[in-house]
Amino acid sequence: MKNELKMPKLRPEMESAVLCAWLKEPGQAFRKGEPIYEIETEKVVNQIEASEDGVMGRQLAEEGDEVAVGAAIAEVEE
Amino acid sequence: MQKKPEWLKVPYNKQAVDEVAALMKDLKLNTVCKEANCPNLGECYQKHTATFMIMGSQCTRNCRFCNVTCGKAGPLDPEEPLHVAEVAQKLGLRHVVVTQVTRDDLPDGGAAHMAATVRSIHSLCPGTTVEVLISDLKGSEEALQTVLAAKPEVMNHNVEMVERLYPDIRPQAKYARSLKVLSDSKRFAPEILTKTGFMLGLGERDDEVDKLMDDIRATGCDILTISQYLQPTKEHWPLDRYVTPDEFARWKETAMAKGFRFVASSPLVRSSYRAAEALDAAMENRA
Repeated sequence: MKNELKMPKLRPEMESAVLCAWLKEPGQAFRKGEPIYEIETEKVVNQIEASEDGVMGRQLAEEGDEVAVGAAIAEVEE
Repeated sequence: MQKKPEWLKVPYNKQAVDEVAALMKDLKLNTVCKEANCPNLGECYQKHTATFMIMGSQCTRNCRFCNVTCGKAGPLDPEEPLHVAEVAQKLGLRHVVVTQVTRDDLPDGGAAHMAATVRSIHSLCPGTTVEVLISDLKGSEEALQTVLAAKPEVMNHNVEMVERLYPDIRPQAKYARSLKVLSDSKRFAPEILTKTGFMLGLGERDDEVDKLMDDIRATGCDILTISQYLQPTKEHWPLDRYVTPDEFARWKETAMAKGFRFVASSPLVRSSYRAAEALDAAMENRA
């Protein structure tokens, strides 16, 4: 089944963030709790950990893109 | 925005963050982790630790480095001391850090409410240690004594920065007054460990940092935290520079040589980050 990874809201007033880096390539499997991508907020770079096991699918956002909170950034296969 | 160095990467687990946030929301509690947009929130919430921020989420001061909202403070919640203790019990915390927004609108600066919170935690969670991170209480010795009478294990008040930058960044605070909070605490309750912290990267010079540490140590302060200033938004005081981990390590050596019992010095250190470890180490050094 395909799911979507969405830009998370890390704090209430956050509207968007820059996707700095993908830590998994399409086709690569990851475990729950593993960092899978990085986003930059005002203070730091956050390494976002996977909420479930999965396989990285098509990436919809590129490194360097500013992405709105809630927008899909990648497809994930469970 | 300056490019962030490699050492400013932090883990973020949304589920853990949501879980702790929901617990706080249920009991109408605030954490400084969330209000100050702390970079360590993800790591600390995952470990089920948090720093409670009592007396509301609106601060009566408007320091230019701080992300906590300045505004009209509301009435105190008389249930808050108990609620903090209940969450501390639920999370199984062995060391609880309680901070406050500055409440210049209250005659005692919120000292009695802080004292009630300390007593409530000690009563509901026997064996748990409490660290208070207080405002300068407008320099009131009486208010400070009220807090100390509740016997927190650690009394923390942050000096925040070198003296020269106070008028620009902390115009409603006074350098000498903050140092006096630390020296008064030692004078009134020498058995309580005192702790303070300051930031680097605001535009200070090395000689000013050295003097700052001498001034702090002269108060008898036991524990020191040194951290990187991280600019919360474009509207806040501009970041001067990112200080390297090596520089932080050198400042730690300097501080230890000046006689502090415990020093935490690295870019992502915050005053309550790994506070339990700081307390343990300081106690060991005192023995």
